Amino acid sequence: MANVITASKLTLAYDGGRKEIIKNASFSVRKGEFVFITGPSGSGKSTLLKALYGALKPKTGTLSVGGLDMGRISRSKLLELRTHLGIVFQDYKLINEWTVEKNVVLPLIIAGYGLDIQQTQAKKLLRHVKLTEQAERFPLELSGGEQQRVGVARALSKNPFLILADEPTGNLDEFSSNVIWDLMENACDQLGSTVVVVTHRIPTIFNIPYRHFIIENRGIYEVR
Amino acid sequence: MKSVKDHLMFLLPLLAILISVEFVIVFNRVTQNSEEKLRQSYSILVVSEKVMSPKDFRRIDSHIVSATPIDKKTIAKEIARGMQNAADAEILASLPHFYNLHLDRYLSRPEVEKIRQKLLAAPGIKKVETFGESLRAKYNLFLFLKVIFWSFVGLMSLVSLFLVVKQMEVWQLAHRERMQIMEIFGAPMLLRSGVLFRMGIIDALLATLLVVGLFMVLRYYYAPISGIEILIDRQELLYETRDGVILAAIALGIVVVTVFSVAIRSREERE
Ligand SMILES: Nc1ncnc2c1ncn2[C@@H]1O[C@H](COP(=O)(O)OP(=O)(O)OP(=O)(O)O)[C@@H](O)[C@H]1O
Ligand SMILES: [Mg+2]
Repeated sequence: MANVITASKLTLAYDGGRKEIIKNASFSVRKGEFVFITGPSGSGKSTLLKALYGALKPKTGTLSVGGLDMGRISRSKLLELRTHLGIVFQDYKLINEWTVEKNVVLPLIIAGYGLDIQQTQAKKLLRHVKLTEQAERFPLELSGGEQQRVGVARALSKNPFLILADEPTGNLDEFSSNVIWDLMENACDQLGSTVVVVTHRIPTIFNIPYRHFIIENRGIYEVR
Repeated sequence: MKSVKDHLMFLLPLLAILISVEFVIVFNRVTQNSEEKLRQSYSILVVSEKVMSPKDFRRIDSHIVSATPIDKKTIAKEIARGMQNAADAEILASLPHFYNLHLDRYLSRPEVEKIRQKLLAAPGIKKVETFGESLRAKYNLFLFLKVIFWSFVGLMSLVSLFLVVKQMEVWQLAHRERMQIMEIFGAPMLLRSGVLFRMGIIDALLATLLVVGLFMVLRYYYAPISGIEILIDRQELLYETRDGVILAAIALGIVVVTVFSVAIRSREERE
């Protein structure tokens, strides 16, 4: 099957290229695969995700996502690509002036779906992440873990072909974490999404096959 | 409450700008009118031995826009009436040619003097007289008012534009984060800045309506009782439908530029 992500001799850097975070990494992820990425704090996990959704251009080497060259992609093409991604951020990045429900359906709003579809989808997802009660609240009225679940619901709301999740269970207890892992498994297994999840702890019980990458000393290695 | 303040902070400077613009339009209309009258009452009389065409005069100085020959027969008759036994035809033949020149605008005294000298230097021209010098004091006062007016309007617009920019920075702060999150999820610029556009367009239309209303009141209620001759005669100088269109276009233009610059400055920097 086709590759959703292909990295070849990829180097990622900040500060105008002076501060290299990842160097000469090559890997690929095929459609429908589930990938865990682990590594020490500050090793560059979030940096890799940034490159995958196009907020950071490769310094050298190539990175392609969904067949698009992330080093050369135009702004408009990048926006188009992003409407097909589901991103969960380590720091949530919710819109604080919007209700939880509206936050969840942001991808649907951008895609121009009607209000009825937005509402049904919001209701369903909020039920999945156990936040039905909080639909009308604003993000700053929620606990950290609740905000994180809103972020996950938002990432899943438009059945993205690629899910990029940065520590989606970082702030959750075991029960809530399992709810999230179930949703991710389901997105991959039932809906066919490709999933890349950064986490510091791979769940002990995981029901579908997965790959495991480690980022360490500026390299990306696969654990087999 | 907060949103009312948000609106006012944009609406008020916008109003100030539009009022300035409408003042400029009205002022220009009124002054063009009087300037034209002044121009027409200013003329130069030339006495020449040769027949000259308007083109000949224009070649002497490009400020000269028209040259009307004065009918010699009437002059001849005038002279003949004062003399006995003189034949019209004889006088007519001995008379030189008279021309009345008009200039393209009201020129300063040195400029007129220069034209006079040029005319006198031209072959055949014997005498040059200027008329309308008595209007000069009026015209100078007029120029002075114009300078004062433009300085005032310029300053007012500058301050208002500054306020618009300030409000734009407030918007920037308030909306930057939301716009950036929307961008990560692929929202195009128009969608990201939709709220600002809606707000800005409402303010722009509101400001236009208020200014149009103000000048309509001036036209229909103030002008007739103003005691100013030109306003009583020509009330349409104070407001024309065209003005409303110009004002709306300017207001919307300011909104578009403002919102786009907020949107562009909030745009993600790809490292
Ligand atoms: N915008 C930036 N400019 C410069 N350096 C940065 C920037 N963002 C991150 N870094 C640096 O890049 C390195 C990798 O950061 P990154 O956020 O990718 O780490 P991480 O693996 O996600 O860590 P954590 O597990 O703590 O989230 C860190 O040393 C960090 O200080
Ligand atoms: Mg991180």
